[in-house]
Amino acid sequence: MTRSVELSIGGMTCASCAARVEKKLNKLDGVTASVNYATEKASVDYPDSVELEQLVGTVEATGYTARIKSATPESDETSALRTRLLVSAALALPVLVVSMAPPLQFRYWQWVALALATPVVTWGALPFHRAAWTNLRHRATTMDTLISLGVLAAFAWSLWALFLGDAGEPGMRMMFSWVASGGDDLYLEVASAVTVFLLAGRYAESRAKRRSGAALRALLDLGAKDVAVLRDGRETRVPVASLEVGDEFVVRPGEKIATDGEVVDGGSAVDASLVTGESVPAEVGRGDAVVGATVNVGGRLVVRATRVGADTQLAQMARLVEQAQNGKAAVQRLADRVSAVFVPTVIGLAAATFALWLALGGGAHAAFTAAVAVLIIACPCALGLATPTALMVGTGRGAQLGILIKGPEILESTRLVDTVVLDKTGTVTTGAMTLHGVTAAAPEEVLRIAGALEAASEHPVAAAIATAARSTFGDLPAVEQFTSTPGLGVSGVVEGRAVLVGRRALLEQWALHADATTSAALDEAESAGRTAVLVAWDGEIRGVLAVGDTVKATSATGVRRLRALGLHPVLLTGDNRRSAQAIAAEVGIVDVVAEVLPAGKVDEVRRLQSEGRVVAMVGDGVNDAAALAVADLGIAMGTGTDAAIEASDLTLVRSDLNAAVDAIRLSRATLRTIQGNLFWAFAYNVAALPLAAFGLLNPLIAGAAMAFSSIFVVTNSLRLRRFSPGSR
Amino acid sequence: MSIQNFPVTGMTCEHCVAAVRSELGALAGVTDVSVDLDANATSTVTVTASEALTDEQVAAALDEAGAYELARGV
Repeated sequence: MTRSVELSIGGMTCASCAARVEKKLNKLDGVTASVNYATEKASVDYPDSVELEQLVGTVEATGYTARIKSATPESDETSALRTRLLVSAALALPVLVVSMAPPLQFRYWQWVALALATPVVTWGALPFHRAAWTNLRHRATTMDTLISLGVLAAFAWSLWALFLGDAGEPGMRMMFSWVASGGDDLYLEVASAVTVFLLAGRYAESRAKRRSGAALRALLDLGAKDVAVLRDGRETRVPVASLEVGDEFVVRPGEKIATDGEVVDGGSAVDASLVTGESVPAEVGRGDAVVGATVNVGGRLVVRATRVGADTQLAQMARLVEQAQNGKAAVQRLADRVSAVFVPTVIGLAAATFALWLALGGGAHAAFTAAVAVLIIACPCALGLATPTALMVGTGRGAQLGILIKGPEILESTRLVDTVVLDKTGTVTTGAMTLHGVTAAAPEEVLRIAGALEAASEHPVAAAIATAARSTFGDLPAVEQFTSTPGLGVSGVVEGRAVLVGRRALLEQWALHADATTSAALDEAESAGRTAVLVAWDGEIRGVLAVGDTVKATSATGVRRLRALGLHPVLLTGDNRRSAQAIAAEVGIVDVVAEVLPAGKVDEVRRLQSEGRVVAMVGDGVNDAAALAVADLGIAMGTGTDAAIEASDLTLVRSDLNAAVDAIRLSRATLRTIQGNLFWAFAYNVAALPLAAFGLLNPLIAGAAMAFSSIFVVTNSLRLRRFSPGSR
Repeated sequence: MSIQNFPVTGMTCEHCVAAVRSELGALAGVTDVSVDLDANATSTVTVTASEALTDEQVAAALDEAGAYELARGV
């Protein structure tokens, strides 16, 4: 049996430190460790023969600090809560049955009930007592205060009735009547049932809570694992971690660039959508900077590393996501907000009841019982169900509709979303390059010949043209003497004609100059945010092909529906302003923020939030991850990257803006349900408060209030099952 | 008494210096280790010992210390 643990390592100042820690840990018998310098974490698999302290000791002996991050994947909190819930439920059930059914009340039943209820009220409700005590010291009252107070009041009353009142006499039976019988009523079942219900609610919530850190791992997994370093003119494959600033390494077509660097040889196209979100690969040549973890889609490159380890853009992005997730303040629970007002009011009411009974000459005994009755009835049993049931039903309905809710607690955020930030590539658009148009005297011939030539190239623009040509003509003619000029275009011989396909600059090298019609077509395509290439053969320019990202068919309706919900859409992209504006105009968005880096996306979301807006962010890319985490509601497209999905609160299986609309509607409906639930949870008990104050409370009323409010809350939550996706 | 210079690659910071010094210092007969750190290239490690160390001994100690290597062939 091997176990695994994550250690956070402190004091590492360079990549060599990480290697050193790793080496020392691996020296231990049966231990496999990998240390990440960027995240300052070590994941260690170790056998039973090795103690955890030994691992920490080894790291410390090497001169660094180590702290245990997590011993077991499932949080101890959840499993402890489950035990508490199961034991309490088993003890509370007989108490409830015997108390509510007078025929079952055998001789001495009340003492058995006390024996069963005592552990529930003390040990079972301990989390609530503890939290209430902590809050008390900070002079705050929360839901925990209310629970703790209600449970303890009900229990104390019962103790008093058993030991000092008449309830302890053998053969006592609790009969239901509409008149309070004074000192012989028992509220043991109220105390235990409230505890169990609230524990159940807490358990459901704790299970649903997200596991953090997954986004970070997904991000760091994006990096290249090993790299072909050029040393003394020879290539050697080494792990990326051992790469140093100044090293030169080779990046083949299709490979990920190992780290941030500068191109020293070769030319190619680099898909930097990871960082910029830009759909058109950037052409790079000697002297250009490239970013680690982006993909080389063209030719062979030799890159000199300029930044490694924690300094790279990828590592910085990972830190951005981590900070965003850690910095996200926990939303104040709705139930706590209500309790903050409700609890002092109830305590005030209890005190007033006591004073009033005394003043009216009701006697100390009656005054005290009435006051305690107020405290007992004030704690609504359904309070514990209000939030979790709504979240559970909402989450389940979402899953049926292809909306996976990862952070249900976010649905409880107390304010409604009013602004939606949309990422461009992959969210509003398909993110794939397609042919948009051919401007030529003989468009079909131009597409056929250009497609044939481009089929020999791997550049994404070329691939889009070749795909379009193939879907129109099927088989394409063969190409001879194919040559590629990186960044400019390609040339070759097709059906005996010398063909050129490429940028204006390539054709100018061949002394071919665009005439007025061609220039106009080029300008038009470029102002629409597309990439335009020229096609020429036999010494003449034959036409212009426009290639670009396509807006999803559903995006325009999606944006319109977002507006219909009263939301303000904003388009946010790392892409250039021109294509961003073209896309925005197409789908009907006015606000456009273009040319932003990942950190800029976070800043933009924060800026909107600082203006008092509640922001939902819809995105799919790695460069959106941090912004998704920062947003009040992060929505990731299911076709997106793992990093984005992990950083978000919701994932849409259908990568369609309409699904995002439904997601926002569902989150609103869930929030409304929670609010409704809280109302019903309190309503019945509030209605019973006057009875308690007048000394008329008896277990029947307490039980009825408990049952009715619970049933209402559950049925109200179940109504969420009928939530339907809106019409298009 | 012997003073030797060893070219060592892979050292980038004071942590590396400390690691190398402690490992080499633990070898029999070594009385002093000093390091001239060159973070981006080859650092020079000067070892004072009662008897000359072999390259193999030094290489083994460097390996023990972390991802450091003796620059000349072993």
